[in-house]
Amino acid sequence: MGPRHLLIVLALALALVAGVFVALRSQTPATPVAAMLLPQPDPVPEFSLLDQQGNSIDRSVFAGHWNLVFFGFTHCPDICPTTLQVLAAARSKLAEDGQAPLPRIVLVSVDPERDTPEIIGAYVDYFGPGNLGITGSLEEIDRLTSGLGIYYQKQPANGDNYVVDHSAAVLVIDPEGRFSALFSGPHKVESFVHDLPLIIRGDR
Amino acid sequence: MRCFLLLSLALLAACGSPQPPLVATDVEVTPPMLGLQMSAGYLVLTNNTDEPIVIDAVTSPQFGSVELHETTLENGISRMRRIEELVIPANGSVTLERGGKHLMLMRSTGPSEIITLQFLSKGEPVLTIEQLYDRKVN
Repeated sequence: MGPRHLLIVLALALALVAGVFVALRSQTPATPVAAMLLPQPDPVPEFSLLDQQGNSIDRSVFAGHWNLVFFGFTHCPDICPTTLQVLAAARSKLAEDGQAPLPRIVLVSVDPERDTPEIIGAYVDYFGPGNLGITGSLEEIDRLTSGLGIYYQKQPANGDNYVVDHSAAVLVIDPEGRFSALFSGPHKVESFVHDLPLIIRGDR
Repeated sequence: MRCFLLLSLALLAACGSPQPPLVATDVEVTPPMLGLQMSAGYLVLTNNTDEPIVIDAVTSPQFGSVELHETTLENGISRMRRIEELVIPANGSVTLERGGKHLMLMRSTGPSEIITLQFLSKGEPVLTIEQLYDRKVN
């Protein structure tokens, strides 16, 4: 076989491999890589809390948005800002990719004693416009968290400061106000960028 | 002459670039967010000596109190706890990073452009760093 024939054979082999690769890729349905989808989306429990402007809100506040809901507190300098940064970066990337609608980032305080509407408002604004901060009475926070299976526990004071252990999960609450998917930590920007368009499109 | 040259090179190698015992790199401290008095600090500490270095206190003029903390994620729950000391192994390093060991900076003493951190071992300062705050969010 001359060098020309060898080249043709090589080119054909390469084309075959490329063809098989493309065919395999297009046949594999895209599925979420990190999110756990609830078999049956679950309506968010009733609650009466406050948004960052101090307005009374109930579960209808979630309606009309794809909400990414994280439970944390502002006196948490490490994991809470890190998670909100991941969500904000994912949202920016999705906007760049032309994703519509874009999710809304929501922080529910598990430390309402220190997190006034004003404080949580300044905190969520730090991660971009349009984010929602929720706080209020401990009883009402409990109604929301226990209904969603979210754990939090205030720890004994260490000097003049205390911390709150809390679930690391980010919940997806759909525009009908239903808890429909869950991302467990540790959170990665790529996971949200990959999975959210699938969840929002309804490729369940 | 050749011997002299070799000797000089050997001396240069030995003392030409004396390494400090403890070095901080990739230092990242953001100023406290609006309305808050606290922040977190991240960095890599490298020990260039043949003995472990134990950091048991950190101070900063920009904060009333600095503690060593560690965030853990177990069974879906995030926890943050104080750690008493940080052991930098001989000729090794320890990374303080998001979601892991970090510096917890509390009670800001007021707006500042710079952040100063002093690391102590049994009351003795072993490293002082001073730099501009990191202003980027992401």
